[in-house]
Amino acid sequence: MPDRPDPVDVLRELATLADQLGGAIGAPDDGELLGAAVTAGRAMFDARSCSIALLDDDQEELVYRAATDEAIVGVRLPVSRGIAGWVVSAGQATAVDDVARDPRFARDVAESVGYVPTSIVVAPLQTARDVLGAISVLDPGEGSGPSARRLDQLGAYAEPVALAIESSRRFWDVGRALLASVEAVADGEELHAALRAAADRPGDPRADLAAMAAQLAELGGYGPPERQAAGDLIEAFLVYLRSRPG
Amino acid sequence: MKPAWSSHFEPGTLPDVTALPLDAPISRSWAWGGATGAGVRVAVIDSGVDPAHPAVGRLAGAVAIELDADAPQGVRVVPAEGDMFGHGTACAGVIRSIAPDAELYSVRVLGRNLKGRGSAFAGGLRWAIEQGMHVVNMSLSTRKRDYFALFHELADEAYFRNIMLVCAVDNVQGPTYPSQYSSVFSVAAHSRDDPFGFDYNPSPPAEFGAPGIDVEVAWLDGSTLRATGNSFAAPHIAGLLARIRSKHRELTPFQAKTVLHALAGNVTAPSPGASVEE
Repeated sequence: MPDRPDPVDVLRELATLADQLGGAIGAPDDGELLGAAVTAGRAMFDARSCSIALLDDDQEELVYRAATDEAIVGVRLPVSRGIAGWVVSAGQATAVDDVARDPRFARDVAESVGYVPTSIVVAPLQTARDVLGAISVLDPGEGSGPSARRLDQLGAYAEPVALAIESSRRFWDVGRALLASVEAVADGEELHAALRAAADRPGDPRADLAAMAAQLAELGGYGPPERQAAGDLIEAFLVYLRSRPG
Repeated sequence: MKPAWSSHFEPGTLPDVTALPLDAPISRSWAWGGATGAGVRVAVIDSGVDPAHPAVGRLAGAVAIELDADAPQGVRVVPAEGDMFGHGTACAGVIRSIAPDAELYSVRVLGRNLKGRGSAFAGGLRWAIEQGMHVVNMSLSTRKRDYFALFHELADEAYFRNIMLVCAVDNVQGPTYPSQYSSVFSVAAHSRDDPFGFDYNPSPPAEFGAPGIDVEVAWLDGSTLRATGNSFAAPHIAGLLARIRSKHRELTPFQAKTVLHALAGNVTAPSPGASVEE
């Protein structure tokens, strides 16, 4: 029977793997999710096109990440510009029947991608925790009803799309935090200290999750009664959260 | 030992207050007849306000709330001019049209970066409360659950200082703050266009309905825009409250809600002889 590998060597191998993967795991692969969302959005409204723009890390610009009319993918729009910029700034869905009369409309951006709509409906992609971006529907079909009804429908559709994007990001960010901690462990740090370091990393948008992972790692060093008590406390808090309205 | 606050109700300590004229139907004439909003301070917490727009006219003051990690509560208040989007100007124009002599204050809480937007919004409301505004129009709200407690605390403070908070509910259903709180005058849009026409909803959280569908509002660069949104309904109620308050200065928020309830388009007076059964 071969000798079992040294755990530290295993961690070093994992750290090397993480380093080599590098930028490939630097951003969540949500292309399939976003593509499906805009395809369904366009069909739902019998619209000319549908697009999703997400906020960049600094929350200063919207970046168009997916669209049924792909010319706009990659375009960046400051949050202080455009109807989409207004929607994420105010957190309010907006329907404009005649964009030519609305000074907020970023006509230059529309012209640069080759299509200027007549009407537009835009809803924020937001959850109870954060604003993620905006979903836009250009020139919805006549059968989709008046502006007020389109607002309701797009707002209702935007909610699960936002939750799906948020879930995808959280799963990815926890994975990144854990992999970053593995690197530190391979250099001799204790695991929970490494996770706390990941949690304290400046600018990390999901530092709170890394902090929670650090707490769980620390709890792992205590005995079963302590871990049971911690689990009971967390479950009690979750029961309270579930019971809150909204 | 007496319980806390009981000393406030001691004879000689408790001030006299004026009751609403409930022995006669509350009328529009009583509520706001002859009133113009004069002497009432109204804050518009929004994207800024353009005082050069003819529908707005003069502003009594204009500030912006900016993030500052070294400042108390993480925000600072700075002088500011202009409107980033036109939305604040639209709201101010509606208020001006209903309460022409109200003192309008612009409180810009939107910036070129969304980080800390909730903190700026809360900072703007806090500033309006500390400055002693009488009516505050918020056609913005936040869905972030993290801000529930902070905005609730501010709404309570405003309520107990007789400051009337008017907030548009979100254009899409779902809890938003501070429109969700019971002390706030929460407003949604209805399709009628009478600027003095409003409804009372007995099934909140949107308690009042006012014009906000296909309404002509002031916008950027002196223009106007035909727009739809609960945002444009809220300032109709804010303007009415400014007008009412200029005639009845000591009205409390709950009295003002009673007045609006009595004058709402869908509320009918009880039939003669009707009484509450014991």
